[in-house]
Amino acid sequence: MSSPLRIINGRVFDPANGVDGEVRDLCIRDGRIVDQLPAQARQLDAHGMVIMPGGVDIHCHIAGPKVNLARKMQPEDHRHDVVPSTAVTRSGTGGTVPSTFATGYRYATLGYTTAMDAAVPPLGARHTLEEFHDTPIIDKGFYIVLGNNIFLNQLLKEKRHEEFREAVAWWISATKAYAAKLVNPGGDEPWKGRRNSNVSDIDANIPEFDITPRQIINAFVHAVNDLGLPHPPHIHCNNLGHSGNFRTTIETMKAAEGRRLHMAHIQFHSYGGELGKNPKSKGPEIARYINENENITCDVGQVMFGKATVMTGDAPAAYVLRKITGNKWVNSDVECESGCGIVPFSYQEHIYTHAMQWAIGLELFLLSKDPWRIVLSTDHPNGGSFMSYPRLIKLLMDREFRKQEIARVNQKAIRNTVLLDDLEREYTLNEIAIITRAGPARALGLVNKGHLGSGADADITIYDELEDKEEMFSSPRYVLKDGELIIDDHEIRQDHEGRLLHVAPAYDEDIEQQIKPFFDKYYSIEFGNYAVGDEYLHRHQTVPTLGERQS
Amino acid sequence: MSVTLTLHTQPEVPLEAECLSPDRLATLDQAGIAALPVLHGNRNMTVGDFFSVDGGKDLTVRIIGDLGRVKHVATGMSGGHLIIDGNIGSHLGLGMSGGEITVTGHAGDWVGPEMGGGRIVVRGDAGHMVGSAYRGSKVGMRGGEIIVHGRIGNEAGNGMRRGMIAVAADSGDFTGVNMIAGSIFVLGRLGARSGAGMKRGTIVSLHDAEVLPTYSYAACYHPVFLRHYLLRLRQLGLPVEEAHLGGRYRRWSGDSVELNRGEILLFAG
Amino acid sequence: MGDNIKIIENATCTFCGCVCDDMHLTVDLDEKKITKAKNACVLGRAWFAQHGIPDYPQATIGGKEASVEDAVEEAAQILAEAKFPIIYGLSDTTCEAQRHAVAIADLIHGCIDTTTSVCHGPSGIAFQGVGESTATLGEVKNRADFIMYWGGNPAESHPRHFTRYAVTTKGLYTPNGKKDRTVVLVDVRKTPSAPVADIFLSVKPGRDFELAWALRALVKGRKLDPSIEQVTGVSLATLEDLVDRMKNCRYGVLFFGMGLTMTRGRHFNSGAVLALTTDLNEFTHFVAKPVRGHGNVTGADNVLSWQTGYPFGVNFSRGFPRFNPGEFTTVDTLARGDADAALIIASDPASNFPRKAIEHLGAIPVIALDTKQTQTTNLARVAFITATYGINTAGTVYRMDDVPITLRKAFDSPYPTDEEILTAIRRRVQALCGGPAVPLRKVS
Repeated sequence: MSSPLRIINGRVFDPANGVDGEVRDLCIRDGRIVDQLPAQARQLDAHGMVIMPGGVDIHCHIAGPKVNLARKMQPEDHRHDVVPSTAVTRSGTGGTVPSTFATGYRYATLGYTTAMDAAVPPLGARHTLEEFHDTPIIDKGFYIVLGNNIFLNQLLKEKRHEEFREAVAWWISATKAYAAKLVNPGGDEPWKGRRNSNVSDIDANIPEFDITPRQIINAFVHAVNDLGLPHPPHIHCNNLGHSGNFRTTIETMKAAEGRRLHMAHIQFHSYGGELGKNPKSKGPEIARYINENENITCDVGQVMFGKATVMTGDAPAAYVLRKITGNKWVNSDVECESGCGIVPFSYQEHIYTHAMQWAIGLELFLLSKDPWRIVLSTDHPNGGSFMSYPRLIKLLMDREFRKQEIARVNQKAIRNTVLLDDLEREYTLNEIAIITRAGPARALGLVNKGHLGSGADADITIYDELEDKEEMFSSPRYVLKDGELIIDDHEIRQDHEGRLLHVAPAYDEDIEQQIKPFFDKYYSIEFGNYAVGDEYLHRHQTVPTLGERQS
Repeated sequence: MSVTLTLHTQPEVPLEAECLSPDRLATLDQAGIAALPVLHGNRNMTVGDFFSVDGGKDLTVRIIGDLGRVKHVATGMSGGHLIIDGNIGSHLGLGMSGGEITVTGHAGDWVGPEMGGGRIVVRGDAGHMVGSAYRGSKVGMRGGEIIVHGRIGNEAGNGMRRGMIAVAADSGDFTGVNMIAGSIFVLGRLGARSGAGMKRGTIVSLHDAEVLPTYSYAACYHPVFLRHYLLRLRQLGLPVEEAHLGGRYRRWSGDSVELNRGEILLFAG
Repeated sequence: MGDNIKIIENATCTFCGCVCDDMHLTVDLDEKKITKAKNACVLGRAWFAQHGIPDYPQATIGGKEASVEDAVEEAAQILAEAKFPIIYGLSDTTCEAQRHAVAIADLIHGCIDTTTSVCHGPSGIAFQGVGESTATLGEVKNRADFIMYWGGNPAESHPRHFTRYAVTTKGLYTPNGKKDRTVVLVDVRKTPSAPVADIFLSVKPGRDFELAWALRALVKGRKLDPSIEQVTGVSLATLEDLVDRMKNCRYGVLFFGMGLTMTRGRHFNSGAVLALTTDLNEFTHFVAKPVRGHGNVTGADNVLSWQTGYPFGVNFSRGFPRFNPGEFTTVDTLARGDADAALIIASDPASNFPRKAIEHLGAIPVIALDTKQTQTTNLARVAFITATYGINTAGTVYRMDDVPITLRKAFDSPYPTDEEILTAIRRRVQALCGGPAVPLRKVS
C-alpha cells in the first residue's frame, strides 16, 4: 500500500457531496478518502485538471460464457487491435470483445474503475469468476439471469412467493452474484421449446408455467426489494428492438408498482411504429415516464456508429439480427436457466434504423430531467464498445459537435425525432460526473463508490481540462485505484488486482431441500457441485444488503 | 541502381521481414536498408544481420537465397518490382495494393492474403490459402493477380471478392470456397469440392472434375470471354494450348446453398 | 484394504469430455488408491483404478534425477533463451495450471497450443466461420427429441453420453427417455454405437462433406440429383426422409466427432454441419455440439480465449497474441522445424505426432510435465512428474459443453501439481525475461 497522498489544486466534481467544480484538496490513506492528512504527506498537483470519482459502468458484457464465445468467434476483430505486453502488464487483444487483461486496462485508461457484467447464467458463474480473476485493475461484479429460470417459474406457477424469494436469495448467494437480472422474461420456453418463437405480450400466458411475463417481473421486483439487495432487479424487457415496443416498456415499469426497478439499455425499448416496419421514436414518451416515476433508474444503451458485437441473453432478438445480416451466429442454450445469442454487427450512419437508434439514445439523455436516474452506457459491446464513451460524452456536452453529427446521419430518421426541435441542452461536467459515476454507484447501492467523501474508495480519475471533451475523457492524466496511482501521465504504471463485488443475502436453508430434487432430475451437474466455492473469489468484497446495513 | 539483398545467414527460426518491400526500400541507401528491423523468432534483429545489401534508392529489388523461413515479405507493397530469387515463406504480399512480385522458387502458405492490387508471380509451387481470407474473416483477396506456374494447395481464393488467381498445374481441395466474386483458372486438375459455398465468380479448369451435388449442369458451350482470359494467361507464360482457346466448356452453376450465381467451367474438348 | 477409508461424493471423472461429476469414490488413504468408483463407466473405472502413487523421481535433467528447484531453473533457462519456444498439451490439467502456461508463453514470447489443434481444432475454425447453435448437455437431456451422432462412436469413447446426457436419460420434456427420441447415427461403418440408433446412415468414407452439403440443400428446398446416392452412399429418398424428420422435430441435436474433423475436408466438414444446424433453425430449434475428448480440452480453449482472444495456435513473438492455425499450431511448428524449445504439459506428442514432428522434438530441448513416464518425458531434457488432476488435486475443468466443474481431491500425492511447477517456472522466467510480476497464488 502506497503512502498517504494529498491531491491539490484540482477542480473537484463530486455531485454526491454537492461539490461542483470547486478547487479543494483530496486526502487519501490506505485506499480510502480521508478528511485530513499530516501536512508533510506526499502531494499530487492537479492544477488545471478535473477530478472525478472513478467511472462506474452499470451495464456491460465483459466476462463469462457468452463473452468468451464472442471472443473466440471473432479472430478478425482482434487482429488489427493488439495490446502488447509491457514491463507491468499482460498482453491481449482488443476489438469489440477484448481479452480479459485488455478489458481491465482499457477501462482504467478511460478512468473507469468499476464495471458490472449484466448477464451471466448461474451455471456460468464459475467461469465468469475465473475471467474476472484475470481482469485487472477494475472492481467488478455480475448479475445472474433468473427471469427464465424453470425452477423459479414453477414456484410462481404454484404461487409459492415466499419460497420464490428464498430461492432467489439462494441463487444469488450460491453464485457470488451482485444482482438479479431478467432478460426477455418468459421468452425462453417459446424460443427453445416452440420452434424459435417468442413471447411478445407482457400479459401473454406462458402455458408451461401458466404465468405471464408481467407476473414474473412483479415477483422479482417484490422479492429483490424485500431481500434488500443493493441493486433492484435489472431488467431487459420483452420485445427488444421491435417497432412499437415502447408500450411493453411502459407496462414493464408499471409492473414495478412503485418499487425500485432498473431498466437496462432503455434505448432499445423506446420504439414506436408498427411491428415489422421501420421504428419511430418514442424517446420523449419514455423519458417522460421515467421523469415522473422516481422508482425507476435506467441506463441508455446508446448506439454508436461502427463495429459492435450483439451478445445478449435474448436469443430470439439475436436471431432476428442474424436473419438481417446473414452473419455468423451463435445461439447457446443453458439448461433450466437461460441462453444467449451472438451476432457480429455494424451500425451505419446512412441506415434509417441505425440512425434512429442513435438519435433515440440522444433524445433520452437530453430529455431526462434527473441525471441521477439515467446512466451512460452503450450496453457494451451491443450498441458499441465502451471505448466510445468519450465520444458519447462529447455528443452530450458539445451542442455544435452534436449538430454536425446529426447532419451526417440518415435525415429521414432524424426528422422522426425531436433532436432538431431546439434540444440545445449541453451536459455540464457535474452532470457527466453523475451519469458516469455518482448515479450508477447510487443505483448499484455502492456506498463507497461514485463519490469522494470521507470513507469512499480512493478510485479517482483526474483529467486534463480540455475544450475537446472526447479528447479529455479518452485519456485521463491520472487514475488512482484503491489509492494506488495506476495511470500516471496517461500511461499504466502498475498493475493492480481489483475486487469482486458480490452480495450474500441470507436465506432459509430449507430452500435447498426444495431445489435439490429439481437438480437431481433436470440438471446435468450435481447439486453438490453447483454452488460456487470461496476458492473462486480473488480479492473481494461482500456488499451488505440494505437490511444488513441498518443492523 | 537496383537493390540486391543476398541472404548470408540462414535464419534458425522464422524471420518476419515485412519491411522488405520495394516502395519501403526505395527511399533508403545501403546502410538504411541494412538497419531496418526484422523479427527473428522473438528477437529484434536487422536486415543486415541476415542479408548483405548492394545498391539502394531504387524500386526494383532482388532478394537472393532460400527465403523459405522468411515471412510477411512485401507487406502492404504499393509499387515497384520485387524479385525473389529462391523460395519464399508465408504471407507474401499481405495487403499488397500495387507493383509486382516474382518468385523464382516455391512460395509458402498464404500468398497474397487480403491483397487489393498488383501482381504476384510464383514460378514454382505455392502452398495453401493462396489469395485467401484469414480465419474468421469472410473476405480474401480484393483485387490483383496471382499467377502460379506450379501447383497450389488447399483453399485457394477462400472468400475472394475480386481479382484473378491462375495456376498452371493442379489445385488442392476447396479451390474457390466461399468465393464472393473473381476468377480462378486452374490449367491442371481442380481439387475436390471446389466452389463450395461460392456466391458469385468463375472457376475454370482445363480438365473435367467432380463437382458438388449442389451444382447444377447448365450447358456445354464456348464462352467468348474465356478466350480473352486464356490468351492473356498464355501471354503471362502459362501453358494454354490452341484447343483450349476455341474449345467447349461444361458450365455448372452453384452453389445452390448460397446465391447460386457462381459458375464452374470445365473443358470438354 | 486398510482401515483408513474416505468416501468422496460428487467427485468428477476427467477421463473424457463428459466430465461426469457424480462419482462416488471409495479411497484407501493408506494405500493411496481409489478402490471403488461408483457410477463410473468402464473407462472411468480404469482411470480411477490406475492412479496410485508411482515410483518415479520428481524431476530429471538429461535423464538423471534432479531436485525440482534445479529442474525449474534449467527449464526456465531453456525457455528464456529460446527464440521460438512452443508450449503444448494442456488438455489434461486444470484451468488454474493452464492460466500459468499462457502467462509463460506471454513472458517468453513463444507459441502456445493445445491438443485441440489435433482433435477439434477444425471445429474451432469452423466456429469462427459460421458460428454455432449449441446447448449445454442438460438441455439435450430435457428437450431433445431428435439426436444425431455423426463421425463418432460414443459407446466406446464416451460411454455415459447416451445414458447420462442424451439418449436414454429422462428429462423435463422427455419423460420417457429413449421413447421420446429419434436417434440417428452417421458413420462409415456400423460401430458399437449403432444399436442405439433408430436410423443408421452409412456414408462412404471421405464423403461426409458431400452428405452434409446435400442435407443443407434439401433443408433449403433445393433440388438434388438422385446420383447423390453414388456420391455419398445414401439414397435421395433416405436423405429426404431425414430432412423431413429434422425440420419437424421439436428440439434437434447434432453431435459430431473426430470422424468428421480429422478426415478429408476437416474444418469444412465441421463447418458444413454447423451451417446445416443454423439452416434448420429456420424451421425448428436445432443445436450442434462437438463431442470433445480430453477431460479439460474445453477448459484450455476457454482459458486461451479469455487471456488472448484466440482458442488455440497462439503466437506471442511480437509481444501480443496472434492466431493462425497451420502456422502456429504445434504439429506445423515442429514439422517445419520452426520451434527451438518445447514445454509439453500433460500430453505425449512423442507417441502420437507425425514422424517429422517427433524427429524435430527429439532435436530440441524439451521440458515435459506428466503424471507418468511417457515417450515425451523420456526424450525430454527436463522432466517433471506431477500429481494427477481430479485425483490428487482440486481445480477447475470445463465439460465439453463449456460448463465449468470443480474437482475434488481424493488423496494427496507426494508429487507437485502442474500449477505449482508452472508457477515456479513462470516466476523464474519472469525474472529472466522481465515482464509483469507473477501474482501471488490465490488463497484456496
